[in-house]
Amino acid sequence: MDEPIAIKAAAEGVPSRMRRLRLGREFGVFVALIVLCIVLTLLNDRFLTPTNLLNIGRQVSLMGIMAIGMTFVLVSGEVDLSVGSTYGLCGIVVGVLMVAGYPLALAVALGLVIGAGIGLINGILSTYLRLPSLIATLGMLSMVRGAALILTDGKPVTVNARNGVGEADLAMFEFLGQGKLLGVPMQLVFFIVFAILGWFLLSRTSFGFRIFAVGGSAKAARVSGINVASVKIWALTLMGVLAALAGTLSLAFLPSGQAGRMGLGLELDVIAATIVGGTTLAGGEGTILGTVLGVLIIGVLRNGLVLTGVSPFAQEFLIGLVIVVAVGIDKWSSASKQN
Amino acid sequence: MIKLVTGLAVAVTCTAGLTLGAYAAPVNISDFKLAPRIAAKIAAGEELNIFVSYPDVSNEFAPFVLEGVARADAMEGIKATVIGPVGPDADAQVNEIETLLDTIDGLAIASVSTDDLAPLLNRMIEEGIPVIAYNTDNPASTRLVFAGQDLTQSGREAGKLMGDVLGGQGKVIITTLNAAAQWSLDREAGAREGLAAFPGIEVISTINTGTEPQEIYGAIENAMLANPDVTGILSLECCSTPAAGTWVERNEAKGKVHVVGFDLLDLTVEHIENGFVDATIDQDPERQGFEAVNLLAKFLAGETIDDIDTGVKVYTAANIGELK
Repeated sequence: MDEPIAIKAAAEGVPSRMRRLRLGREFGVFVALIVLCIVLTLLNDRFLTPTNLLNIGRQVSLMGIMAIGMTFVLVSGEVDLSVGSTYGLCGIVVGVLMVAGYPLALAVALGLVIGAGIGLINGILSTYLRLPSLIATLGMLSMVRGAALILTDGKPVTVNARNGVGEADLAMFEFLGQGKLLGVPMQLVFFIVFAILGWFLLSRTSFGFRIFAVGGSAKAARVSGINVASVKIWALTLMGVLAALAGTLSLAFLPSGQAGRMGLGLELDVIAATIVGGTTLAGGEGTILGTVLGVLIIGVLRNGLVLTGVSPFAQEFLIGLVIVVAVGIDKWSSASKQN
Repeated sequence: MIKLVTGLAVAVTCTAGLTLGAYAAPVNISDFKLAPRIAAKIAAGEELNIFVSYPDVSNEFAPFVLEGVARADAMEGIKATVIGPVGPDADAQVNEIETLLDTIDGLAIASVSTDDLAPLLNRMIEEGIPVIAYNTDNPASTRLVFAGQDLTQSGREAGKLMGDVLGGQGKVIITTLNAAAQWSLDREAGAREGLAAFPGIEVISTINTGTEPQEIYGAIENAMLANPDVTGILSLECCSTPAAGTWVERNEAKGKVHVVGFDLLDLTVEHIENGFVDATIDQDPERQGFEAVNLLAKFLAGETIDDIDTGVKVYTAANIGELK
């Protein structure tokens, strides 16, 4: 597809300044993560151990996979509140299909297609039907969760041999969720792979540039010949697929899923991690590296607070405080840079 | 030594801890000023609408309760309907009941929050609508009777079980989906009381796992890493029990870390069979759902009704086969 000349010119004209700004943001988040790790290492000798670091990596992986999708959505100027429900429904669908005797590949493929479909509907509602994505995806959050409950009648879905799942499919499914590749948990492997793919797509392709252009100024992007609706729909569809993948991996890790609880409230964690990583709610700004760092900050904080014996109620308070402080620092630093 | 003997299917009769409201059970309709519209329906032989409000119809435990309500719905002259919010939302539970108020001939309720629901329940009683509590009692209200498990007693029993499986020595963490919920506080108090009978056991902390499955597992994983000398995980509810068993399985800690929990989810049953969970306490949720309707039907038919304790039934590897 021909890229409009104006876009090419813009892309070539601003990179050094933009890159410096992005580097600055990521550097701030990186420093915060390092400081956090140093403090936790001093407070607890079990923090900086290979076992614990791999635990953290695995624990943040599913949220991280979704945060990569959320980066695309937020940079494009939209938001998706239905990701937790999509994660739950698609995981449950994969489980139901496997228990019903469908082959693993087909079950997973259908789960991903449903995730893509939910994202596509979110995109159409918030572009062609002009519903704010906040409202459209809020409605979908409820509809999708309801669909999962209707599908299962509220009963847990357990993927195991007792429920008739074939030995080979079960072994592969468990490997996807519980296995290790060169000692690295598979969930973390998926997170790393999708982080790299996401980074490439967002920062090295014309699609990524269009996402930034649409999120920065939809009007200017439209004038430049970009199909704004199409870009936003693709971003939300990608989000749906990644939420479905994370839900599937979740069921592969913990083989009993329940429609009322799987992914419940996860959307807020995903959005928080993405924003802590420097992506703005206003659109047009954000990086995959920043998001990965944001996800790690949330994961390290949760892990560290438990290791250091902080009470569960204080943990909630402190995590909220860190989100506010991290976003505040980001805003103040970017405002001072602009000045 | 482990004292979980063969055939340990103990139905403990709980007599302590059932707090009574203004109506001291047993209670009869002659002690109650029934709303004229309900009295007229009874006199005309019309079908009576019994509503069963559950605090979160989307959780794992709900389908078992709903099965009991469905069984009761087959009773002649009774239409039993399950209501309740998706997610434990007290406001939503109050709003739903208020919306249906004119059509309710009897309400059985497991309250999301004792204090939030009590004023509405008391108002209903004053207006002549019979209200009973099931599953989770509401001692702050004037409900007629309660059908369910004494939560403190079941916690006590869980604590005692943990003490037994640990041979009276070790360190224990307690896990719960919601450390601030009344049911959790009651069970935790009972569990700590039960464990206090074993001076060699130390309770390290209570872990609030949250409700999302990955969160639950991650919280247990972190807690075990923070406390590597823990030898017992006592779960206070249905849903962190299988997660604790899964942690034992994945970390090859069978025999080193013991798990005692609640309820009979599929994965919990499987973990007991494989030795990753030592014991679980069932509270007969199907019967709770059935009795919620049955007690109201009896009351409206003029029979005297009383509290029902659905008991504490313990399942271990020795007797889990009974479920097949």
